[in-house]
Amino acid sequence: MRKFTNLLKKEVKELITFQLIVSLVFTIGMFYFIGNIVQSEVQKAEEKRDIHVFNLDNSQESKALLDGLSYAGFKVNLLEKKDKAEAIEYAKNSNISLLIVIPEGFSEAASKFQFKEIEAYSFIRSFSMTSSANAAIVDQVISEINKLLSNNFLKTNFPDFNPEDIKNPIKSRDFVVVKDIMAEGSAAEVSNIVYSQSIFIPVILMMIIVFSSQMVLSAMAMEKQDKTLETLLTVPISRNQIVIAKMAASALVGLISAGIYMLGFRYYMGGFMGNIQESGQLNELMQKLGLQFTSGDYVVLGISIFLAILCALGLTIILGVMVEDLKSAQTMILPLIFLVMIPYFISLFSDINSLSLPVKILIMLIPFSHPFIASQNILLGNYAVVFYGILYMLAVFIILIFICGRIFSTDRVLTMKLRFGKKGFAKNS
Amino acid sequence: MDILDNIILRANNLRKNYGKFEALKGVSFEVKKGEIFALIGPNGAGKTTTLRIVATLLTPTDGSVEFMGFDLRKNPDKIRQGITYLPEEAGAYKNLTGLDYLKFMANFYAEKPQDVDMYIERAIKIVGFKDRLKDKVGTYSKGMTRKLLLARALMTKPKLAILDEPTSGLDVINSLEIREVIRGFVEEGVSVLLSSHNMLEIDFLSDRVAIIDKGHILEIGEPKALKEKYSADNLEEVFRRLVQ
Repeated sequence: MRKFTNLLKKEVKELITFQLIVSLVFTIGMFYFIGNIVQSEVQKAEEKRDIHVFNLDNSQESKALLDGLSYAGFKVNLLEKKDKAEAIEYAKNSNISLLIVIPEGFSEAASKFQFKEIEAYSFIRSFSMTSSANAAIVDQVISEINKLLSNNFLKTNFPDFNPEDIKNPIKSRDFVVVKDIMAEGSAAEVSNIVYSQSIFIPVILMMIIVFSSQMVLSAMAMEKQDKTLETLLTVPISRNQIVIAKMAASALVGLISAGIYMLGFRYYMGGFMGNIQESGQLNELMQKLGLQFTSGDYVVLGISIFLAILCALGLTIILGVMVEDLKSAQTMILPLIFLVMIPYFISLFSDINSLSLPVKILIMLIPFSHPFIASQNILLGNYAVVFYGILYMLAVFIILIFICGRIFSTDRVLTMKLRFGKKGFAKNS
Repeated sequence: MDILDNIILRANNLRKNYGKFEALKGVSFEVKKGEIFALIGPNGAGKTTTLRIVATLLTPTDGSVEFMGFDLRKNPDKIRQGITYLPEEAGAYKNLTGLDYLKFMANFYAEKPQDVDMYIERAIKIVGFKDRLKDKVGTYSKGMTRKLLLARALMTKPKLAILDEPTSGLDVINSLEIREVIRGFVEEGVSVLLSSHNMLEIDFLSDRVAIIDKGHILEIGEPKALKEKYSADNLEEVFRRLVQ
């Protein structure tokens, strides 16, 4: 055990280089910076319901209409200008992004059901997220005005009826059914919450696998490039322990690196997604439907992810035997990245269960597919699929370790190379 | 180990094929306790392949190696406890300091923590640059790295040190120092199996030599006896006469 610890410490020391620390610090700083900028833009876009109005009508009705807009959450700023041209010129020179012009005689025409056009001027000064949000505000304002006018009209002509009942005579109640559980609520909202909660899992997994595998490959490549592997293979420690120490160190450093990257990524995504918080009602709905992770679920998910990492590391060790230097290590990681990318993208944009059987079998044969689909299957109570996935990954890992052990216990560890453009494997003479 | 004839290593009819290429075609030799046994021959003769087999890195296609009674195929782990190997193009971990590297290697051989200190003390005497041992190996010159690696190979006083071209790429002064260090350890009971294509160096250093060419051992004997047998002034001449 002492020899193994000695080797493990060396492997970790070799992996945690100054360059790695600088790269991690830089990345987290960059994610944090971009995330903050995006978040402030999103907040600005959300808060920006500031409108400027030049009211040429000046009737009691149009004033009531503007009060209605204020009531609906818009901050209405009235412009006192000589004419429309002056108002537009003023808006152009000020930092006004939206100007609404209510034409003269608007209320009078409306009372006769002869509506005049309201003019909306959007001032584009950039193409940022805030700027694009102004377009939506125009629609919201017009929609609110339409609503106020139509409600007034209906109230006047049908005083005994609720205007909303006339406009939307059919009401609906939404129910969501998950397996045997049914609860009242919106399916779209439930899907959005589950998606927002589980979107990070494939990203985390993808990062950990790629990081750890890159670490193992680099470690193997460095051993060969720096001509230290031969010496290491002659010291009195079993070859299996050498393999395990390399895997353990890489997994450890990979986990730490991925954790730090994820922290930065969270800042970054937090900027885009804003504060996705479940309302009390929605939370209750999720609980009723059983769409929340229990501690046991987290353990099962953790085991699934951990086994996927181990499979990746086992595969990487085999690939690592074939690398000659750091340059070839960068090429050698590609097959593994593709194997991770396939289930990653499918889990993000599609449902593996909805694929045709041959494609589904192919996807399921990739060990990394299982943790990608595990979180949703756990939520849906399909534990059998998750457990079969865990057993499959365990079997793959055992086979990979067996192959690694075989390779390391023979001279293939020194002689095996993959020569691109030639016939498969070649021995070094 | 064969107590009667004091033999620590016995290689018998070693063959090694790389695909269709026969690197070794039946190599046999023995190394006695406390001697320097050298394999000499030109590049590609099979020296390094032989040393790599004895160092448990390569498995022979045929033939056997017995080290202190342990068979190479059956007990490679036991053999690794008694040997150290210095490859010709060996390097050390560049991100470690010289001292950390020595400690790292010492920990594989030490039975108790005090052994590590003893090994390090011995290594410091060999390298001769104590003040630079806290610097990273990546900052060392080629000569310093080679000395560090030699110190690593000898500090544990192995039963058998396998040294492949120990003075390869070194200047005259460094080569002389390394030869003296090797000789000193042999006097303390370490056996050495080394290879070199520098026959003059071997003439000076080794107790017995095996002249190898194209995977065959052509002759084995003490340098003086071989020179007498072939009426030669040095081993280079012996070799030339053997291959002609």
